[in-house]
Amino acid sequence: MIFEQLAGNLIQGLVLGAIYGMATMGLSLIFGVLKVVNVGHGAFIMVGAFVTLWLFNALGIIPIFAIPVALIIGLALGFLFYYTVMRKLIKAPELATLLATFAIGVLLEETIKLIFGSEFRGYNWAVGKINLGITVLPFTKLYACLGSVAIAVLLYLWFNKTRAGTAMRSVVEDSEGARVCGVNVDGVYALSFAIGIGLTVTSGVLLTMFIPVGINPYMGGSYTLKAFVIAVLGGLASPYGAFFGGLVFGLIENGSYTLFALLPNVEPFALTRFLSFAMLLLILLIRPTGLLRAK
Amino acid sequence: MALLRLENITKRFGGLVAVDDVSLEIQEGELIAIVGPNGAGKTTLFNVISGVFLPEEGKVFFEDKDITRLPAYKRAPLGLGRTFQIPRPFSSASVRENVAIGAMFGTLADKVSVDESLEIADHYIDLVGLQDHRNKAAGPLTPVEKKLMEIARALAMKPKLLLMDEAMAGMNPKDIDEMVQFLLRLKEEEKMSIIAMVEHIMRAVVGLAERVMVMHQGAKLVDASTTEALTDPKVIEVYLGHSEGD
Amino acid sequence: MKVNPAKYYPLIPVYAIYLIMFLIGKNMTGMWELMAMLAFYCALGQAFNIFLGMTGYVDFGYVAFMGVGTYGMALAITRLVHFKGLGIGLLIIGLCLAMVMSTLLALAVGAVALRLRGAYFAIATIGVNEGFRYLIEGAKIWNGSEGIIFFAQMNEAFGREMASALSTFWADVLVLIIAALAAFVTLHYMRSKIGYALTALREDEDAAKVMGINVTKFKIIAFITSAIFAGLLGAAAWAIKTPYVFPPEVFEIHYTIEAIIIVLLGGAGTLLGPVVGGLIYGLSKYYLAIILPGFQLLIFAPIIIIIIVLFPEGTVGMLKNRVRGTTLERYIV
Repeated sequence: MIFEQLAGNLIQGLVLGAIYGMATMGLSLIFGVLKVVNVGHGAFIMVGAFVTLWLFNALGIIPIFAIPVALIIGLALGFLFYYTVMRKLIKAPELATLLATFAIGVLLEETIKLIFGSEFRGYNWAVGKINLGITVLPFTKLYACLGSVAIAVLLYLWFNKTRAGTAMRSVVEDSEGARVCGVNVDGVYALSFAIGIGLTVTSGVLLTMFIPVGINPYMGGSYTLKAFVIAVLGGLASPYGAFFGGLVFGLIENGSYTLFALLPNVEPFALTRFLSFAMLLLILLIRPTGLLRAK
Repeated sequence: MALLRLENITKRFGGLVAVDDVSLEIQEGELIAIVGPNGAGKTTLFNVISGVFLPEEGKVFFEDKDITRLPAYKRAPLGLGRTFQIPRPFSSASVRENVAIGAMFGTLADKVSVDESLEIADHYIDLVGLQDHRNKAAGPLTPVEKKLMEIARALAMKPKLLLMDEAMAGMNPKDIDEMVQFLLRLKEEEKMSIIAMVEHIMRAVVGLAERVMVMHQGAKLVDASTTEALTDPKVIEVYLGHSEGD
Repeated sequence: MKVNPAKYYPLIPVYAIYLIMFLIGKNMTGMWELMAMLAFYCALGQAFNIFLGMTGYVDFGYVAFMGVGTYGMALAITRLVHFKGLGIGLLIIGLCLAMVMSTLLALAVGAVALRLRGAYFAIATIGVNEGFRYLIEGAKIWNGSEGIIFFAQMNEAFGREMASALSTFWADVLVLIIAALAAFVTLHYMRSKIGYALTALREDEDAAKVMGINVTKFKIIAFITSAIFAGLLGAAAWAIKTPYVFPPEVFEIHYTIEAIIIVLLGGAGTLLGPVVGGLIYGLSKYYLAIILPGFQLLIFAPIIIIIIVLFPEGTVGMLKNRVRGTTLERYIV
């Protein structure tokens, strides 16, 4: 009985984990290239969620077609904030970049609140579900999972097979060396920031396909915190590490919740959160390069 | 007793051997130059001596005390001062504060107050000729001024051994001559030993050091008196060899 | 050791501002609450500046120290209320417990997080704050997510009238005293080797080590000092002023962000900066809420971004550069 429940929750966790992973790749990409932690990360996820909501509720466009729209909006926001703000802060101390990205997040939240209000919203895109016996998976969740995997694979190919991707990797390795070798480092920074934000806004679409309720301007905060844990699991600077970190996180989150619920006199939801932050600290302490890196 | 003794130091970065089995002894009051082309392992050797890197093999002795594994911050109070290849000022602090920091945490650490450290700082700022910049922030100084400030900061540590990383890079011949005279005077007045690292300014080496160690690809090539070292065929081969083809 | 009074001149403008705030609050009707709020922001900035400003390390979980301080006071009052005759001594025990608890947390966090640098440090401290909050809620420590409500115990211990005076007046006075103490300690550090060591490690940690500075020791000193003031501030401004404590409130990351904004607005690592930053932040927050309720953050966010990009040294940072070489230099640090 409990094992069936656990297995069912783990399947849900794996599906959600793939989305979490994709939702963290942008954070890791930006940290890897610009060495900037985007504290406003969750706000960009929220923007993606509102794009989906608005397209579906107002125009009847299904969430799958919201993906390219979100990507374009994300790229545009990324370039905008890079050239107006981040570009001037590349060499600034952490204090400046952390606060600036936080302020960008607040700006987005308040702008969305101004347009859509702050109440909780949701949408209902019913396209059927499959019953796996131990758990039920709506197709929307499956699509979101497949979409996440596809985007991760595309990013991998883009990184490894294109000139721009190679330039980006060279900047991650050694930005000064790349500059000497004729790489347009500023261009790489701009493109990486834009793609990072593009991925993050897109992940907002996929996340609402998994959880189509609770959409509101301040929903991003908890995703920011989760993304930090996931990114650290994957080594912080590696987008693929982040993807696998997401899978691990999804499994641990759902698995530990099931187990904590068995304990007497505790709040399992809070303990699950505690576990994830304890994990974050442990990894930073013993293996700051992430779980997956050999070194 | 040798002031500093390196025994078979080897330092690797991954597969790259940056310092390869180097041994060296410095006596009290000695001034030696370490020369070698870029990438010869000079700065890495300095970093091993000052504790920035731990060597994979070999030992470092300072006044016969094994300091191989001693943390960097415990070496300065023993009497090890250094300057950096690319100057590293504490940018927001004034020149005076920068130099005073040297006095506060160097060999005098337990003996001087903040005020006394500031007085010591003033002395060395005058000595290197930065008195007009005393109260300016160190960040906006010119590279040569930063270099001088670093020397003052290292001197304020009252070291027994001063490690100077590329002390004369970027200077014009006149400045170099002045610097050489300055170092020779320092050696006498402050009674300290100096290891000066020089990439390619032979003019400085000849005037400065009675002894030269030449490094090449991480290893010690020659360790001899200056005239001997600079006429050694091996040295001419690695050092000047490429110019013959020009 | 002889003390040179000129060294402490920079406290004059700081204390003058605090005194003026007190006098305005005391003598102008309806101003006390505003002055109390400003005092809180000044104290918060002054306390955080000792770590953030002087070391350059961004502690994103700073509010956790205020949180445990609040718990310290709450626990002291709820557990010791039945010992009659302690009187105001109970508050002193509470303040001591707040200091002890924030020190212990700082030692634990410092041991883990201070090995990390830059972004890794910032993320680790977020983890500590959130982790600690969810541990309290999840394992139902100190009443878990239900929190501790101790109005009744306050009334029992101090009498209804005194409890009310504590909450509406003395708590705020205490906050001002904490701010003044934090300013004194800041200046004392600046004028001692600690301050020089912190400047060195903030600018270049590796060079500082080679210069003989035990960077770990000095980081811990700044971290614990700053944490103790946060603990005291939590005990005074939160526990005594509003006698309840809920985990989601006292570990709310927005207070950390407010503290960062205050330090940055005023000028990180300066003495007068947190005061100026606290005043600018508090006043604009207060009046924006009146003029444009609901739009404060929308207006704030771009202003913050502009300040970070165009004026990273903050108000006092810029002023300091201006007065360099004039007599004012002795007062503005």
